Formats: sequence, structure tokens, C-alpha cells
Amino acid sequence: MDWLDFFQSITDGLLFGSIYALIGIGFTLIFGVMHKINLAYGAASIAGAYVSIAVAAYVPLPALVTFLIAAIASGGIAFLIYLANFRFIPLASPLATLMATVGMLILIDEIVVHATDGMPQPYPALFADIYIEWGDFGLRGDLIFIFVLSLIAMVVLMFMLYRTRLGIATRAVAQQPVAAQLAGISLDRTNALTFVITGLLGGLAGAMIGASVGVLSPLLVVPITVKGLIVCVIGGLGSIPGAIIAGLAVGAFENFFLAFRGVTERDMYVMLLLFVFLVFRPGGIFSRSVARD
Amino acid sequence: MDFFFGLLQIIGVHTLLGLSAYVVLQTGQVTLAQAGFFSIGAYVSAMLTVLAGWHIIPALLVSATLAGIVAGIVGFPALRIKGLMLVVATIAFGEFIRLFWFNFDYQIEKKGIVVGPQGGEGFKQIRFFPENGWSTLDVAIFIWVIVALVMLALWWTDRSRAGTVLRAVGEDELAAQSVGINLTAVKVGAFAAGGFIAGIGGAIYAHYTTHIEHLNFGVMLATFAIAYPILGGLRNVFGTLVAVIFIQGFLVEGLRFMGDWRNLLFGALIVLAMNIQPRGLIDERSVKLVRGLFTRDTRN
Amino acid sequence: MPILELTTLTKHFGGVHAVDELDLAVEEGEIFGLIGPNGSGKSTTVNLICGVVSVTAGRVAFEGRDITGSAPHRVLAAGVARTFQNIRLFGHLTVWQNLWVAQNSVEDRRSENFAKRWFFGSGATRDAVDQQLEFAGLAGKRNELAANLAFGEQRRLELARALATKPRLLLLDEPAAGMNLEEVHALDGRLRALQQAGMTIVLVEHVMELVMGVTDRIAVLNFGRKIAEGLPAAIQEDPAVQQAYLGGGVETAHA
Repeated sequence: MDWLDFFQSITDGLLFGSIYALIGIGFTLIFGVMHKINLAYGAASIAGAYVSIAVAAYVPLPALVTFLIAAIASGGIAFLIYLANFRFIPLASPLATLMATVGMLILIDEIVVHATDGMPQPYPALFADIYIEWGDFGLRGDLIFIFVLSLIAMVVLMFMLYRTRLGIATRAVAQQPVAAQLAGISLDRTNALTFVITGLLGGLAGAMIGASVGVLSPLLVVPITVKGLIVCVIGGLGSIPGAIIAGLAVGAFENFFLAFRGVTERDMYVMLLLFVFLVFRPGGIFSRSVARD
Repeated sequence: MDFFFGLLQIIGVHTLLGLSAYVVLQTGQVTLAQAGFFSIGAYVSAMLTVLAGWHIIPALLVSATLAGIVAGIVGFPALRIKGLMLVVATIAFGEFIRLFWFNFDYQIEKKGIVVGPQGGEGFKQIRFFPENGWSTLDVAIFIWVIVALVMLALWWTDRSRAGTVLRAVGEDELAAQSVGINLTAVKVGAFAAGGFIAGIGGAIYAHYTTHIEHLNFGVMLATFAIAYPILGGLRNVFGTLVAVIFIQGFLVEGLRFMGDWRNLLFGALIVLAMNIQPRGLIDERSVKLVRGLFTRDTRN
Repeated sequence: MPILELTTLTKHFGGVHAVDELDLAVEEGEIFGLIGPNGSGKSTTVNLICGVVSVTAGRVAFEGRDITGSAPHRVLAAGVARTFQNIRLFGHLTVWQNLWVAQNSVEDRRSENFAKRWFFGSGATRDAVDQQLEFAGLAGKRNELAANLAFGEQRRLELARALATKPRLLLLDEPAAGMNLEEVHALDGRLRALQQAGMTIVLVEHVMELVMGVTDRIAVLNFGRKIAEGLPAAIQEDPAVQQAYLGGGVETAHA
């Protein structure tokens, strides 16, 4: 193994990992606010990207606008998911919510399969022709673009959460739902908004996946969902910085194993490591020492 | 007629899969590793009948026991984690098992043909039933005798103290411990029992499809495993059976005339069902309703 | 020899000394009161005895046997049962099943075989559950789900469930919380009846009418330390106790 190859694969992985970070943030935000998992989240992200190419097929659009449409569409889908899976199912039935989101995942997946006859759809790449070189080491322009866009999205999200009234309401609900309600914050509206926000992030991530892989396919949904869950759990449930770091780390590790162990064995060891990690560090990377009682 | 028997086989195997998750769910743990244990039953039993030339019944028992042991071993570390952590950890373990088969290569030559699991290609030619002259009817009867035995055993357990203890742990672990229930024993036991039942299902599955590959045992299958008991309501084993018949019989086969649309409807129906009946299709309310129609007995 | 003996029992949560070098000795057959302001470590003490939280230092002995750090079900098997401050029933099990689960966890452990204990059950066990329901005044509710009971009934069921395990020591964590005066009097009577039947009881409580009326001896905790111990009448007069309850407990915390 060559140090340069090592460095190159890690770097590519880190850049791509920013997408995982966005997906992980989506899972973690919803968990933070509602203490529920939205298994349909990955499907909504990919579906948003599909909507954007559908629009682009009729109206010629600059690629950046396509991304924006993906985000907005996914935000809308996320709102529908909230209505269909969370709004009316009692909090005391966590299994029902879980199952309903599985149903939603299947539903969204099938609508996509239907609309495209199951054929993978090409997705416009951005800056794919740019390649920055330093000797043998290089950076793919599309990956840099993805990374920068993710960073911008994260910064905007952080700004919203910590500086705007909406964000403060969201965090209040996450920490003290009862007190937040007493302070006049509508639980329902905050939850719905959180879903829309995660949808926006997810749609962006879905578009970026399409752009960097080159195609969109319904087959992306389950792996993205699993990766997102892994990132959100490794990062520590409800922790946004944790999800960002875990997302980048998962991207880097994945690419590293891909380059040096081959694809068939890679995932097996990754999964085993993940299981061991979860068992011995159930709180994620940033867990504090064991909580009382 | 063969179509009908084929459907019976599918329903039987999926019932076993659902029941394997049912046992674990009763203790309040959501597991997505059942597809992995199912695959252990499938691969190991097929190796025993094809490579070692065993009869299917001992092969089934040995492979299911092995699946149960693996599940029990997973259950120990999994005791430390709950909720979403457990969901992801069990996904990871289930995927590990699936990918293990993806990398597993072991063929030998038998009667001039090379047989055995072959990595990504899967395991072909699992021909115990045709080689021994079992008809589709024979196979269907064989499967349903086993399904009936497992259901009977679980139904009995449900009504016994052991079943009540499982539910007590699912309700409140701390309270269960404080009345003397050994949490470790109960949870690991439930995992092992679930693994055993999944293993039986997998063993049967491998033999009636005659060709298995790692892709058969993914996260979606694991999701179905928990979907059946949750949709059926965790009240009793018949809920799981009803849910399997509803999904595999009605939604998958019955709506075949709808073509691709049926999968779409399938997703929508699950969403709808969980909104209307969050505690499953068969919950206290619906049971009371049906019971009221037939009897006035209010005994336990 | 005391039935329950705590020796320099200590629990730290991070930097917080929830229980600090606590020494207690509860004699067989007495009703022992454990009181103190909120956050004084009463519930933590119960959790330490029962093995729900791990012990930082010190020792718990029951009937002379060291049970420090035993798993909760082993503590119960040794003969210590408890109730919870916020009632913890098995809500979706019936009243009858709540007692059935607790039944013969300890008793008959050796006299019945595995299959009989867990799967087939014995008529004697079922009869015993029926009797306990009768005693708790819940016979009419046997097929109700525990979650659907009224508050007072839930308290009674939780006590019955603890008693169903046939303990020799009962730890009651604020059993009168949320009760009206009438219910407190009924509880008072039931505790005396249990004492007469030979039960030792540790009563963790806020409701002073109950504590002062029914207990034989009282220990007062503040900031995890014992600040007084003695007969109820003496405790009421103790200046350190009055100080603690009026909120001026800072000096004693570092005493």
C-alpha cells in the first residue's frame, strides 16, 4: 500500500461522506425532537431528487436549480410523511410509527419504480470536468462541490437552530416538550417544521448522490437508509456535530476499505465492527459517561 | 393446484419468520437480525442435505439449533442496548451474516456435479424434495405440520407464566427485575428461541426454492419479519398468521391482477392500518368485539 | 443481628454525592422510616439496596449475607421486595397476571420443576394469586388491564405484587404519594397488619402523618448523609432535622 493511494482514497471518502452526514443529520434531528425514527427518510431524499429530474425533463434548468427543486420536493414529501406516519399515531405506540414509516418507504419506492419503469435515470453532474491536481494526488471537482454545498447546508442549519426563533423552539421541544408547550410553542407545528427541514437536507443529499454517482435508482434507497441510521447512531442520537463527524468518518472508512480490501469483504467487516462498536459504546462517539438510573 | 400449494408454502415459511420476531418483540426488543438467522437455517440445512446427504428433519433441527445458538450469542451483547441502538445493531449483525454467505465458498463434487454454496452465485441445486419424490402437496403438508407445531408451542407459552413473563419484561424491565425476573435469561432466551424458529423457517425455505443466495436475506426480509407480528398485533400468535395471510396471500398474490400497482397499494395499506389500528390489526378492541359475538365467558 | 445493614454505603453520580457513607441498621419486625427533603438520597438508597444502581463504595447486608451489587432479581430472591415512587405496573397485563408473574419467583423455586414452574403451572399457584387478590381487595378487577385501574387501586396492586414474592423485607418508596387522607389511613392499617404478620418494612416517605404514626424508628437524610436517627417523637424535636426541612441544610452537608 502506497501512502498517496491511502491519502487519496481517504480524501475522496471524506468528501463523499458529507452526503452521509446530511442524511445522518436528518435522522438525528427527527430523533432529537420526536424520539422516533423515520425510516422513510432515505426514500424521501431519493424521491426528491427524482422529482427534480422530472421537472428538468420538461423545462431546461441550470443544475443548481435542479438541486434546489430536489430539496424543496423532498421537504414537501417529508411533510406528507409527518402527516401520514406521525401526526395521528399515538406517541405510546412507537412500533406503529416505525411500521408506518416502513410502509411509507415501500410506497415511495414503488411510486418511483412506477414512474420510471424501474430504469436508472441519469443525473446531471456538476463540475465533473474539473480536476485539481498536485502531482499524483488529485481532487474531483464534483466531490469538492458536494462537500462545499454540504458545508453550506450545515452552516445554514446550525444558524437556524441556534439563532432563529424557529430553531430555538425546535431545541426547546427536543429538550423539554412539556415546558416548551407551556411556553406557547406548538408541538405540532414544530414537529412538522422539523420534518420539512430534514426533508430539505435530504433532498439536497439525494440530488448530490445522483450527481456524484451519475444515476438515480430505487436501489439506492435501502443502502442510504441503513447508512443514515448508522451515521446517526455512531454520532450519538440527537447530536448534530456527532452526525457530521460520523458521516465523514463512515465515508472515509468505506472508501478506504473499498480501495484496499475489495468490495465483497469490505462490508462484512464494517458491519461486524459496527455491531461491536454499538455494543461497547452505545451512546455513540460523543457519549458522556453512563447516565444515572 | 400447484400454485395454491406454492402459496401455502410461502405463507407457512413467512409465518415462521414472523413468529421468530414475535417472540423477541414480546420482550420489547425490536430486532432486524431475523433475516440473518433465517439465512443460517437455510444455508446450514442445505449443506447438510446436499453435501452430507442427511435427511431433512435432522438437518432442519441441527441448523435451527445453530441459528438459535448464534441468536443467543447476539442476545448477550445486545442486552446492553435498547431502542434505536438495538435496531441498528441488529441490522448490522443481520447484514454481517448475509455478507458472510456472500463471501462463503465451499463446493464439493457429488455424483459428477459440483455442488455447494458459491459466494455471490448462491447455493443452487438444493434438491432434497424432488430427489426423494416429495410432491408439492407432501411438501405443503410437511411445512404446515411444522408451522402448526411451532404455533401450538408458542400459543401454549403465551398462556403460561413464561409467556406472561416475556410480556412483563416488554412492559417494564425494571419492574420485572424487581419482582424477581432474570432479565438476562429472559432476553437471551427470547433471542435464542426467535433464532431457532427463524432457522426452521430458513431451512424449509432453502428446500422448497432449491436455490438460495445472499440477496434473499437482506434488510427488507428482516423488516417483513417484524412487520407481520406488529401488523397482527402482539396479542397472540394468530395475529401474526393473519398478517402473513393478509400480506402474502391477499396483497401479494390476491392482487396480482393489479400488476405493479399492488406493491404501491401494499405500502399505502400498511400506513393506513397503523393509523387506524396502532396496536395491530388484532388488538384488545377487535378481540373484544369478536369475542362478544360468540361468548359471554369473561374468564382469563 | 439487624435484618438489613448498610455500612458506609456511598454513591457518586459524577461529582454529586447522592449517598455519602450511610450507616443504617434495620431490626427484624420493625417499621423503619427513611425521610429527608427532596434530593436527599432516599430513592437512591432504595435503588442501591435493590441493585438497580451500582454501589460506589460500602456494603449492603441482608440477614447477614452480603448482597452488595447483586442483580435486582437476586436481591429479590434473597427476600427483599420493593415498590416504586412512580407506580410501575405491567400496564397491558391483567391485574391477575401482574400477580402471577411475581408469584413463586422465590418460593417453590426448588420444589417445582422447570416445566411446571414456567409452562404448566400448578393449581396451588393459581389459588395463591386468587387469595392475594382477595387480600388486596382487587378480586373484582382480576381481568382488568392494570393500566385501566384507578390510582389508589394501582398502588394497592403494586403492593400486592411485591407481597406476592413472599419477601421478608419490604422497601416502600413513597407509597402514600398522591393519596388522600382516607387512603393514607387505610395504608397505615395495612402496614400495621403486615408488621403483625412478621414483615419488616422500610418506609421512604414524605407524608408526615403516615411516617410519624406508623414507624418505630426514623432516620433522616440530607445531602446523602444521615443527620438524625431515633424515635419519631425525638426526630420531630431535632433541630438539625427542622433546619434541613426549612432548607438550611448547607452546613450539615459538609459537617
